Amino acid sequence: MTAVFTQREVSLTEGRLRIAEAGEGRPLLHLHSAGGPRFSPVVQHLTANHRVICPFMPGFDGTPALPLVKTIPDVADLYAEFIRKETPGKCDVMAESLGGWVALWLAVRHPDLVDHLVLEGPAGLRPDGKGGLPADPAERHRQLYAVPERAPVEPRSEETLAANRKAAADYSAGIAFDDALALRLREIDARTLIVMGYREQIIPVETGHLLKTKIPHSHLTYVFGAAHAIEFDQPGRVGALVADFLERGESFIVRESAVA
Amino acid sequence: MKFTFFHLMPWTDLTEPPTQWPARNAPFSGERGTELYKNYIDAMAYAEECGFDWVAANEHHFSPYSLMANCNLVGAALTQRTKTIKLAMLGNLVPLLNPIRVAEEYAMLDVMSGGRLIAGFVRGIPHEYIAYNVAPSESRQRLREALALITKAWTEPEPFGWESEHYQYRSVSIWPKPRQTPHPRMLLSATNAESAEFVGEHRAMLGMALIVDLDSAGQTIEAYRKVSRAHGFDPTPDDVVIMQQTVIADSDEEARALMRPALQYFHGILMRPQLDAQRIVLQKTRYFGSDAQRDHFVGRLSTLKARTLEDQIEAGSVLCGSPESVVNQVKKLRQHLGTGHIIMNMKIGNLADAAVKRSMELFRDKVRPQLASL
Repeated sequence: MTAVFTQREVSLTEGRLRIAEAGEGRPLLHLHSAGGPRFSPVVQHLTANHRVICPFMPGFDGTPALPLVKTIPDVADLYAEFIRKETPGKCDVMAESLGGWVALWLAVRHPDLVDHLVLEGPAGLRPDGKGGLPADPAERHRQLYAVPERAPVEPRSEETLAANRKAAADYSAGIAFDDALALRLREIDARTLIVMGYREQIIPVETGHLLKTKIPHSHLTYVFGAAHAIEFDQPGRVGALVADFLERGESFIVRESAVA
Repeated sequence: MKFTFFHLMPWTDLTEPPTQWPARNAPFSGERGTELYKNYIDAMAYAEECGFDWVAANEHHFSPYSLMANCNLVGAALTQRTKTIKLAMLGNLVPLLNPIRVAEEYAMLDVMSGGRLIAGFVRGIPHEYIAYNVAPSESRQRLREALALITKAWTEPEPFGWESEHYQYRSVSIWPKPRQTPHPRMLLSATNAESAEFVGEHRAMLGMALIVDLDSAGQTIEAYRKVSRAHGFDPTPDDVVIMQQTVIADSDEEARALMRPALQYFHGILMRPQLDAQRIVLQKTRYFGSDAQRDHFVGRLSTLKARTLEDQIEAGSVLCGSPESVVNQVKKLRQHLGTGHIIMNMKIGNLADAAVKRSMELFRDKVRPQLASL
């Protein structure tokens, strides 16, 4: 199934936020990685039962940066205003890598807005600076994809991708481990699924352990045959896992009978 | 050099080969079975007194070839009968089993033994897949996934979920964890260069059995060493573990006179019923990744079976003879294969337990001392 995502802009206090959305059902915010917005097979799959909303971090994919949105918590506040304005209540949030860092701050600062939280190899909490995106393009690609043939074809210009990398660097501000965030992880009330690729190297395994230890209602799952870009490496496994978690919440740990 | 005493726990009382697979179990006697288990576990416990470094067991199904449907049960008994010898489970047929159960049972053995477990994982011989109704074509991928999952189950500090093609668990946190940290040493078996590379990828010890000739075995071992080094692990001789059917007696003549009928019982009776099942698996499934690997496996078995005992000794396929002869045979394996660890499979077919015990004692008194410097 290939859903058609339509784009529009939403006026918020700090400026205009571009979003892409598709599907109907309970709202699900999908927060992109440093690679920028991409509509993976997992995102497509989730549109079957969710209104999937993909905001563009200001500065990504040709959108203008917003002068007062400079840090990751600033982005989280921007998205919170969007949720309040555009969705009827609590929203499920799933996020990849850099987006996971935003999602964590969103859950910390706006617990009234986040229902289920799915973190896929989230950035911002790399102990001792372990991991990180390799500078060498070939090595970066190798660490992103365990199944290289499933890597998406890149339609964007090198200029756009370079601007995305600069935006990601600006927001990250050289921070590998966000101490302020780490101190507040215990405040997260949302039921949280942390998903890590078994071959993940960009985000160290210790990040998953830290999140599992600190977030009170959390689950940690390893996806075999996946590196960092797990939505592309193993779309079937990740799509089914996330859909089940979003539908059944804590009871997703109990296997359902195939017989009705 | 390190040495292991291995026991296959065979049923010794058949007079005719079973005609089909699985072998009908009407000839089984519970009373005799109890007696055999007692004798066999006694022998395995005695291995500690005889100076072996490990005592080993493995897993087989639906056959008088071995009464060890679950070697972990034997391992559990040995945790209470031994004090220092390492307990090598060589190993659980993990593609057939629930990997979490394997992780748990191995952890129990490690804790119960005070950290003496050697954790073996094998794909098994082809017909076992019929017994447990698992597609042989899935065996390689199941093994790969299960090893990753078991390692996680042993080492993760927090409950975790797992999503792979064959195994899905939403929440895992085993009790107990292994006593050894980060986990017990792992041994994986290999019969060819491809499977040896798999062992090297996992930085595990390499286990090899049924050596047909030293040159091809050496190539497999070299593939293991090469891939291991590429994964940051430089195997020592102790990491190359070679299993040999072994009879040690007071003279070469006596050893050969004991081993010859024992091998006839092993090949002619115990191995017989599984050949049909094996043929079907090998012909109809992708148990092996290529036809060449399948042909290598089949050829190896038939070659060994067709050889005279003298030829097998000369080829380095078995250890048989007086203590002096066996010392020289071990030195030859060491020289050609660089192995630092020999597994001695001393209960061959229906060889009498008294002869097995004599082999063990000659190993202790006359073989091991002469190999102390290796």
